[in-house]
This record gives sequence, C-alpha cells and structure tokens, in this order.
Amino acid sequence: MTKQPRMGRQAAVDFLMEYLVLFVIVALVIVTAIVEPRFLSAQNFTNLMRQFGPLSFVALGMTFIIVGGFIDLSVPGMISIVAMVTLSLVDVIGELPAMFAGLVLGAALGFVNGTTLMLAGANTQAKALFITFGMSQIYRSLALHLTGGFPMNWGTLFEHPMPVTRALSSGMWGPLSISFWVFLFFLLVLYIFQSKTALGRAITYTGGNLTAAELGGIPTKRVVVFIYTLCGFMVAVGAIVLFSRVSVTVPTVGTFFERDAIMAVVVGGTSLTGGRGNVLRTVMGVSLVILMSNCMNLLGVQTHAQEVVRGAILVLAIWLDHRRHARG
Amino acid sequence: MKKRTLATLVVLALVVGIFAACGGGGTAPAPAAPTTPAAPDAPADGGEAASGDQIFRAAFITQAMSNESQAFSWREFQRLAPEFGFEMSVFAGENEPAVEFDGVLTAIANGYDAVFVNPSSIEGIIPALQQARDAGLVVGMFSSVLPDEHRGVMDFFVGSDDFLGGVQAGEFVSAHFPDGANFVEVGGQAGHSAANDRHSGFQEGIADNIVMLDSQFAPTGWNTHEALAIMEDFIVRFGDEIDIVWCHWDNGASGVIDALQNAGMTDVFVIGVDGNRTGYAQVRAGTQALSVGQSFTNMATESLRNARIILEGGTVPVDNWIPLDMVTLDSIDSFVEPDW
Repeated sequence: MTKQPRMGRQAAVDFLMEYLVLFVIVALVIVTAIVEPRFLSAQNFTNLMRQFGPLSFVALGMTFIIVGGFIDLSVPGMISIVAMVTLSLVDVIGELPAMFAGLVLGAALGFVNGTTLMLAGANTQAKALFITFGMSQIYRSLALHLTGGFPMNWGTLFEHPMPVTRALSSGMWGPLSISFWVFLFFLLVLYIFQSKTALGRAITYTGGNLTAAELGGIPTKRVVVFIYTLCGFMVAVGAIVLFSRVSVTVPTVGTFFERDAIMAVVVGGTSLTGGRGNVLRTVMGVSLVILMSNCMNLLGVQTHAQEVVRGAILVLAIWLDHRRHARG
Repeated sequence: MKKRTLATLVVLALVVGIFAACGGGGTAPAPAAPTTPAAPDAPADGGEAASGDQIFRAAFITQAMSNESQAFSWREFQRLAPEFGFEMSVFAGENEPAVEFDGVLTAIANGYDAVFVNPSSIEGIIPALQQARDAGLVVGMFSSVLPDEHRGVMDFFVGSDDFLGGVQAGEFVSAHFPDGANFVEVGGQAGHSAANDRHSGFQEGIADNIVMLDSQFAPTGWNTHEALAIMEDFIVRFGDEIDIVWCHWDNGASGVIDALQNAGMTDVFVIGVDGNRTGYAQVRAGTQALSVGQSFTNMATESLRNARIILEGGTVPVDNWIPLDMVTLDSIDSFVEPDW
C-alpha cells in the first residue's frame, strides 16, 4: 500500500531531475520578467537570438564528442585560428571562399585532433582532456604567431564589403536573425543525423560502452575521428558567426567557449560519461547559459557573482548526471 | 606505420597551408616573437650599441603576448634595443602569474642584466622581483605600478597610470556634460588591476551629476564580444537613459559601438582607453568621442634608457610617468598614428 505513493514520488523526482533545466529556464524567465519587464521586449529577444549564435554551434559539435564518450578542450584554439585565418583570407580570395576555407580548416583541425587521439591510444575522456588541451595551445599559439597578437577589424580595415558577415552580424529574415536561421538549419540536420542514421547511433553506442561497441562491429576509432571532425566543423561555424558579431576580432577570441559549451551540453542533460544525450537537450542547455547571462545582466547582478552562479550550475549539473548514472 | 606517416603529413600540410594562406593576406600585422618563453641564448636583437660598448641582456616579462598592447610593446623593445645597447628576449605569461614568476627566475638563472616587467598579478610576482634585485638585475616595472610597501623591489617604474587615465576620462566627461548625464561602464577583464584602476579613477574624475546606471566587467578577458553582449543588455535595460558609455578598452568600445548601432542609438558618447589603431579609427569615424591613449613606444624608450644608465652606474628617477594622450576628433592629428 505504501509502495505506490513512494514510487509516485520517486517518479516525480526523476521527472524533475530529468527536466530540471526546463524548470530553471521557466523560473528564470518569470522572475526576470517580473523584476525587469524589458526582458520581454522585442529588442531583448533579438539580442538573445544573436547571443545564442556562436555558443550554440560549438555546443552542438561538443554534444557528439560527449555522447561519444570523449571531451574536446581544443575549442578556444580552434575558434582563434579559424577566425584569424578566415579574416586573413577575405581580401585575398573573397569573403565566401574565405569562409569556406575556414570551415574546411575547422574540420581539418578536428580530424587532426581525432587522429592524434587514436594514434596516441587515448581512448578515455581523461586522456582526451589533456591531449586536446595541448592541441588548443598549439592552435592558439599559431593564431597569435600569424597575427603577431594584433586584432583584425573587418569593420574598417578590409577593402571587401563583407555582405555575408554583415548579414550574419545583424541581418534579420522575418522575425528571426540570419544567424538563428543558420542555427535552426544545423540543428535540424544534426538531429536527423543523430536519430536517423547508423553513424549517429554508432556514436551513442561508442560512448555508452566502447568495448561492447567494438565487439558489435562498430569501427570505434573511425567514429571517434569522425566526431572530432564534426566538432571541428561546428566550431568553425561558431567562429565565423562569432567574428561576424563584432567588428574587431582579437587572437584570443573564443576564450572559455569550451567551458560554456561543455556546461551547456551537460546542463542540457547529456551524460558526461557518454552514451546518452542529444542535440535537442543541448539547445536547452545553451538556452539556459545564454538566458542566465542575459537575465543576470538585466537584474544588475555583478560580474563576480555571475561567475559564481555559472560555476555552481555546472557543478550541480555534473552532480545530477552522476546521480542519474549511478541509478543506471 | 602508414597511418602515422599520413597523420604527420596532414599536420605538416595544415601548418604549412595556414602559414602560406596568411602570408599573402596583407591584413595581418607582422608576426611578433613566440609567446612562450624565448630561448635565453636566442636574443631578439644583437645590434651595435649606440651608447657605450657593452651589450647588456634584458628580458621583457609580460602578462600576455595575446594582448596586442604587449605585442606592440615587445616589437618596440626589439626595435629600440640596439639603440640603447641591449639584446632582448621576451617571456610571456599568458595571464598566468606562476609563468610570469618563472620567467623572472629564468632571467636570473641565465644571467640577464635587466628585466622589464608587466605582470598580470602584481602581488604574485613581488617575491620573484626581490630575488632579481638580490641577484643584481635591474628591475624596471613596465606600465604596472607596485604597491607602496613593495616599491623597494624595483629600480624604476615607467608607464602610464591606469588610475590617472580613468581620472582624465572622468574629467573629460564632466567637462563635456556640465549639466549632468548618465553613464554605463563596460569594464575590462574582471579582477584585472588595470580594469580596477580605470574603474576607480573614473569614479574619482567624474562630477557628482554624472550618474552611473550600472557597471559590468568582461567575465573572461578583454574580449570584444563580451563588451558587445554587456552593452546589448545595458541597452535593453536602460535604453535612451544612457548618455555615456565608459569602456575600459578601445577594442571593447568597438563592440559597444556595434551594439549601439544595431539598436539605432547613434548619439551616445563612447569613450575608451588604449589609443590603438581601432580607437583612432573610431574617433576619426565619429563613433567614439575619446580614446585615452598610452604611448608604449615612449615607455619602451624610457625603460631601456633608464636600465642602461643604472647598469653604467648612474641613477634615474624612480617614477617615470608617460603622459596619456587625450585623442579626440579635434586633437587626433597632433598625435602619431599608432600601428597596434
């Protein structure tokens, strides 16, 4: 007799924990809207869409890395070098070819990451953590070397008019910003890829149990190289959207994007231990990260306190993930 | 084996490709030295000294070569070193106090004659500076002020005062808005001493009728996109109440201007600090009212001159303040155009 209510309570707790991020988002929106009604203004909605851009692309790429049971700390270095190389090429080969080159470079860097990991026998998240951190240093140092540490200002320095960059920066199509449409496109493609293709499922199996996946005939090394290549490509998209947002791009652009991307993925509910999660959950995580920053700025919360909240939320998300994992 | 060879080739091709692609770009400034500690036996310059016969060895220990002002300073050190009879190396900490600390110790161990130091954490490097003084090195603080109780660990200071820069900016604003105005502050890297000093200086410089609506600092660094995001949120929150934006760095002001233009706010009085190429361009374009400029060329010159004098047995003033340039549309042509 007493078991049923207990099970009901447990189910409610499980449901709450599963979708905690949604409840937090709703609470955040309500509280901020009450205290600062301008939160609901059209202008703030536009700002949120624009702020959503760069991080969301990186986080989408990071989702596949984490679902696959790995981690990628090379994100800041990749953003840095892709942004600086792409901008360097604009006046040489034109804007769109430069962007294409930037995307290829991002994918190539991701391929190098994945290949390096596999050649080094790094088949755990811990090993990947250190190797990709090292790769980040290499990429960032290359970017600094190429630019001499100086920023690039596409708003004033380039002869090229940069129409695509300007469109990504502030263009609108209907009610949504251009960069948000680009995000929706990639979200749709990646969602279909993850849920409807054999390779998408192979990533989940690889992250769930590497040995079992290998025994099941999945070429796990190729899968790992693929997810890093995919992540590199998505990071490159994020880098292009990021430098489009600001006229001046410094070589250190992208600092802490790996932290925010991992936070968004984990907060969204993707398991840090791999094998569980999807891109839709990541969208929830990114929404929370972006909203949190926006809301705290609108509420006048000071910078240092904001960082405390961010750190606390990351710790909470990992703790919840651990609890879910422990329960199986 | 084949896979290893392939991977090596891919990496090499990538690196060569990147360099080849950017070499012809024409938009990137000339490369600076590596950002990791330079090899002590590989000096940047070894030219003939213009004053005296002896060539001295000096190290520029800087917070980060990823900070363009420091990259420019290093370039100026390299350019000016032969004139004052120095061979220079750079040790970049990349905003990590422990690395800066080790840079000083490396300079001591390798028999350098002088160090010019601009750390990210002034408190963190003081013990290393004391060791450098004890070892007989000339210690010059570069654009970084030591607390009064620790001034004994340096031979001299050369630089512009961030606090004074803030004061001058505040006074400029007060003079421009005698009837009062509202401002928001987009601060530099949270916790950075320059950001703290610019904040305090501005508060000191403004009149009572210049009212702060809010102040936020860039959470992770002096990043333009962080300034942009902060400003976007300020615009939503305060809108037309904002008369002035006090931004701690010119590249950040660029993000502020982007946000203002996206919101259709073209009459806001934006002021920044640095006096770099971006700031000059924005002042010329009329989108930035003032850039409080620092002359890193003069700082490098004074640092080398002072060190040379001390090493030859002379004495120099302890404090060597380099005047700040107040770059406005009216005064901009009276200054040398920066190339950083």
